[in-house]
Amino acid sequence: MVALSLPGPVRRYFENWFEVRNPPSGDSILLHNRRLYILPTGFGYLFAIMLLFLFLAAINYQNSMAYMLTFMLVSLVIISLWQTHKNLLGITVKLNIPRPVFRGEMCELEFEVSHPNNSRRFAIGIQYRNQPPVYLKLQALGSTKAKLKLPTGRRGLFKPAGITVFTRYPTGLFHAWGWLRFDLPILVYPRPLQDARLQQSLVEQLDGQTSTSTIEGDDFAGLREHRVGESLRHISWKAYAQGRGLLTKTFQGQARPSLWIDWQSMTQGSAEDRLSDMAAMVLAAENEEQKYGLRLPGTMIEQSYGNAHKHNCLQALAVFRQTDIEQEIPLEGD
Amino acid sequence: MKAIEQNLPIRSISQEISSSSSVFAVCFCFLFSIAPHFPHLPLWVSGIVGFALGWRCLQNLGKLREIPRWLLIPMVIIGGLGVFAEYWTVVGRDAGLALLTVMTALKFLESRRQRDLLILVFLCYFLIATHFLFSQSILTATLMFATLIVTTATLITINQREAQISVADLLRSSSHLVLMSIPLMLILFVLVPRIPGPLWGLTNEQRGGITGLSDSMSPGKISNLIRSNEVAFRVDFDGRIPAQNQLYWRGPVMAHFTGFRWSQVPRKPLGQPTLSVSEPPISYTVTLEPNGERWLLALDVPTRLVAGSVMTADFQLTSKKEVNDLLRYKTESRLAYQFGLDESEDYLKLTRSYPEQYNPKTIALGKSLAAKHGDSMEIVNAALSMFSKEAFFYTLKPPLLGNNVVDDFLFGSRRGFCEHYAGSFALLMRAAGIPARIVTGYQGGEFNSVGNYMIVRQSDAHAWTEVWIEDRGWIRIDPTAAVSPDRIELGLDDALADEISNFRIQTRNPIFGNLLYGWDNLQHSWNNWVLNYDERKQRDFLSKLDMGIDNWSDMVITLVVMLSAITGVFWFIAWYRERPPRPATYELLFRCLLRKLAHRGIEKKASEDTRAFLRRVAADDFPQRDQLEHIIDLYNRIKYGRSGASPLALNQMRSLINSLQP
Repeated sequence: MVALSLPGPVRRYFENWFEVRNPPSGDSILLHNRRLYILPTGFGYLFAIMLLFLFLAAINYQNSMAYMLTFMLVSLVIISLWQTHKNLLGITVKLNIPRPVFRGEMCELEFEVSHPNNSRRFAIGIQYRNQPPVYLKLQALGSTKAKLKLPTGRRGLFKPAGITVFTRYPTGLFHAWGWLRFDLPILVYPRPLQDARLQQSLVEQLDGQTSTSTIEGDDFAGLREHRVGESLRHISWKAYAQGRGLLTKTFQGQARPSLWIDWQSMTQGSAEDRLSDMAAMVLAAENEEQKYGLRLPGTMIEQSYGNAHKHNCLQALAVFRQTDIEQEIPLEGD
Repeated sequence: MKAIEQNLPIRSISQEISSSSSVFAVCFCFLFSIAPHFPHLPLWVSGIVGFALGWRCLQNLGKLREIPRWLLIPMVIIGGLGVFAEYWTVVGRDAGLALLTVMTALKFLESRRQRDLLILVFLCYFLIATHFLFSQSILTATLMFATLIVTTATLITINQREAQISVADLLRSSSHLVLMSIPLMLILFVLVPRIPGPLWGLTNEQRGGITGLSDSMSPGKISNLIRSNEVAFRVDFDGRIPAQNQLYWRGPVMAHFTGFRWSQVPRKPLGQPTLSVSEPPISYTVTLEPNGERWLLALDVPTRLVAGSVMTADFQLTSKKEVNDLLRYKTESRLAYQFGLDESEDYLKLTRSYPEQYNPKTIALGKSLAAKHGDSMEIVNAALSMFSKEAFFYTLKPPLLGNNVVDDFLFGSRRGFCEHYAGSFALLMRAAGIPARIVTGYQGGEFNSVGNYMIVRQSDAHAWTEVWIEDRGWIRIDPTAAVSPDRIELGLDDALADEISNFRIQTRNPIFGNLLYGWDNLQHSWNNWVLNYDERKQRDFLSKLDMGIDNWSDMVITLVVMLSAITGVFWFIAWYRERPPRPATYELLFRCLLRKLAHRGIEKKASEDTRAFLRRVAADDFPQRDQLEHIIDLYNRIKYGRSGASPLALNQMRSLINSLQP
């Protein structure tokens, strides 16, 4: 398909047509007739040209068998049009909830492809735009997982779009495909910058902090309610066995220092650089087992720690100043 | 929308590096489709094929490196020049095939990507067509059908990608594809309007090794032909089949004699027909195997012209171009006739002339015959009775003759075949002053009782004479009949049963014979219905079907309708088999509920699961909250409960949903 440059109303008509037929649907898509498209491949056209030559030769030599061969191949084209289409028909593609990644890392999309029919499916590819596809095959009533790895080009929250499930089986003369548009977002955090300067500023901020009870330490200090994200190692299983619920053992020791990761204090570089710095600080703070909070223009996340808190912070950084969820996964070089 | 604007990833896929198994598959496929051509190809071309395939396979196994591109280009040039040197052209059937073969073989050496392999497979498909320029027999067609399956299997392998699939499975899916194409192919074959060719000039190339009549006759020529069991032509008679001894199939007429060899004299087309006939004509259709010559065989004598041919003054049907393809023509003949009454004086003079220096004894005998008998007819009969009364022998293995072939035969060996008898008789007549000439052709034929037609083989080749007699014109005289009446009455095999053992003797066996006749009948029908299906045959066939398809546009419309119908059925079957399972009734009812709620502005978010949504709805200040909760309860009980969807619960759910205010 070539890029469409159509007059407004026609374009809107097509957009509408596309939306109606390919609504983003939850996390799984059933490829039925209305969702499947099929067009000849370059080889399909080449084959057609060859058939034309064959036909001319048959006429010229008045050779009945050459006619027959030509017609046989024409029929083969028609049958393979149908078979290529059939190879995708009725397949369900489910996208497992993608894990967030940092910008620059490969984003891994795991698809579960299955079909409820008693036929085998071959050479089914899943592809994002012009990226190298992954291929899979399905046994009768089968289900297969396929992982598509995409390089990520920008931070933000994105909806997978432009992903197709396609096939050229059996003859490669046709390319049948369906658009995979899911409601599941892909989260790309800013790329964390590992920087000595950052470490320095962390240390400076932490000077003169008082000690508090923490889960790490030398002397047992008492029990408090368990927080999601805390290691199971620190749960007081004795208390749990006594029916007092999940409690975490705390210890007296070096206090967990706390800090604020603040947009305003980041003065160097562009907005993206600042976000990268902040992401790195989040990771570093979490790594150093500190309490940290995040201040962004219009957003504030209270000081806390733990995995969930880290992801909250990173997500806030990822979607910062992103107005809308984009229907596209930006690639490197975009 | 952005999504559909993007280019389809066509390029990147065809650029993928091909797997090693598909390289092997393509090598095998090419070998399979080129192998039957090896006899027609120069040895060095076959050598290049072997070299390229061998190299590519070894390269694939990691035993050899890829040939560098700078070496490939000179190889391509040398290959092209080689073909040119071999044929002095690069177009036409033979040179074109050699060029295609060389270039395809060399293409193997630089094929790494998916794209290259696909192109090679396309070339294999094309190669299948080239076989039909050499032969269109049933056997070739069967072999090519197998090649088509192999080629298609190869195409599938290439598109198969990582998935491993057994060869048996591959061949099965390929046969499936090919077999399913057959009905469509038949429709196309019958209904695609045939265009009379050729579109551009053809180099009318001869097939190699054709056996058949020659344009000259000398001792040994026909008896060589006799050993061939090949079919010369087949004849379907419209009505009565003439008796065996009437079946003289007229071919080249030879009036020029060098003392050793008889040859044709160019003659003008017949102007005014000078034929007088009494009996009704015999009507029949001849399917002539390609003979590389211009003559068309017809029963003595033809009285109807065939399209694209002329009738010469000596009643010989001559095609305007060489018969290099199977030719089918309908014509008529008269068995009782008189022609040549007004033969030109020049031609009569020619047919009386002979070289004086050879065969003096025969010439003397001829002259003495003329002196002894006054009447021409008496001379003829005297010569014939000499053949029948004296010790002449009819044999396929005549001894070698010297310079004066006729003298050596008549006065020496006296053992000969039809060309000896016809030749010496004609010379005798000429010496006696009677115009005489040789007619070559075929005599007899065998009746195929399975298909009700007559088969005439090369082994039926025959030569006889015609003499010209005042007031009677040209009369057929067959001296062989005087020597060996069996040859004419019963056919060659009976006449020479102890010298030859061939097809016809085998057909005497009732079971084997019927099988052989059945096979021949199949070939005959193939010739008639498949190979001869041209513009005219198509028109005849469609009018016989009587469906009102009688012009070009009707054919196209019928074609499109039938193709769409068949494809439609296929699509329907696919859709029916792969249709999404029908949702359960309670799910349909639930959707109905969702629609009703949506109507009120309460919509289910895609991310929300059903239970959470229902909880949200019920928690709102919903006017019919109790009812809704009841529905939700029912839904959950049906969906997750042990009793499932009882009719009672479903009815209850339906009535509750109906009672909800929209």
